[in-house]
Amino acid sequence: MNTLYVEGNSLLHRLSARVKLIALTATGIALIFIASPVPLAIAAFMAALLYASLRIGWRQSWLRLRPVFLTIFVVAVFAFLVSSAPEAATMLFRLTTLMLLAAAVTATTTIGDFIDEITLAARPLERLGLVKAADIGLSLGLVIRFVPEVVSRYRAIREAHAARGLKARPVTLAVPLIILTLKSADEIAAAIDARGVRGQN
Amino acid sequence: MSTRDLVLAALFAAIIVVLGLLPPITIGFIPVPITAQSLGVMLAGVVLGARRGTIAVLLVLLLVAIGLPVLSGGRGGLAAFAAPTSGFLIGWVFAAFVTGYLSERLVSRSQSGLVQGTGFFLAALAGGVIVLYAFGITYLALITGLGFMQAFLGSLAFVPGDVIKAFVAALAGRAIMAGYPLLPQRA
Repeated sequence: MNTLYVEGNSLLHRLSARVKLIALTATGIALIFIASPVPLAIAAFMAALLYASLRIGWRQSWLRLRPVFLTIFVVAVFAFLVSSAPEAATMLFRLTTLMLLAAAVTATTTIGDFIDEITLAARPLERLGLVKAADIGLSLGLVIRFVPEVVSRYRAIREAHAARGLKARPVTLAVPLIILTLKSADEIAAAIDARGVRGQN
Repeated sequence: MSTRDLVLAALFAAIIVVLGLLPPITIGFIPVPITAQSLGVMLAGVVLGARRGTIAVLLVLLLVAIGLPVLSGGRGGLAAFAAPTSGFLIGWVFAAFVTGYLSERLVSRSQSGLVQGTGFFLAALAGGVIVLYAFGITYLALITGLGFMQAFLGSLAFVPGDVIKAFVAALAGRAIMAGYPLLPQRA
């Protein structure tokens, strides 16, 4: 599976994931308390400069940011129509800033670093007995491992429909897909336990 | 948590990811294209119940957060949480939980098919529409400074699609309960 991480050696690449995540959260909270368009426009401009410094390229950047930006833009237009221009501009610049900063963190942090931070953040929960921190990495790995498998099962079910001249309907596709996929759970669980990956329960 | 439950949640997360890869379908009378991914959220609750269904959805959101483009339309990364509609994304967790919780209470294996189907439909409607929209609309209203009423009206166009999905989830849930029951039963 492709990730949104981009190789590079910028300042953001070299900062630790924890620093970036804490800074992103702090900025997000600060942005909520700034409620006038002009400082937020400056913030958006600076965030854009930061994002541009990663040298991802115009085309690639647009592809990455387009879905979220279009949602922000459409809602801003809606806000302009039903409330006022300053309100709409405040929202537009605030969320654009947040989007650019979040995208910059995503582009400069590897999946491994993220998983390390999540595992670390889950430690207090582990002490409460809610989760086992090591299970998080294991399950994320399992999901990534099984996505291609589920895709090929989906294709096989589509072909089985076509071979029988059946129209593909959501229910007749989803039911065999789910049953076939979940039926392999016992084998996978047995394989994990046989290797002692999760240790003693 | 048993290894089997963990694996079931992970497999279902993979199913939700794959549902996001399918192209969105536009149904005749609804102007908004509907994606299969939020159907997956309802199905997680209906098929796996509250606990495992919620974990499946949490795993998908974690994959998004760590930078994998696993949302429909290839969206992903932390920026996906910066959209005005991100409340709907966060609401998925609670939607799966409520759908699963109600499915466990309302549906049992001894009931007739019609009762099971109705139970699943009500569960999916409560979780996947009412709870989901409560989160989505509240977030939209707070983050944009729009009033609740405007945020509500702006989201209305998506409701018919989600009601259809609740119906599909109910039919699928019933068929899966007949074929490979996994839902933990409660009195």
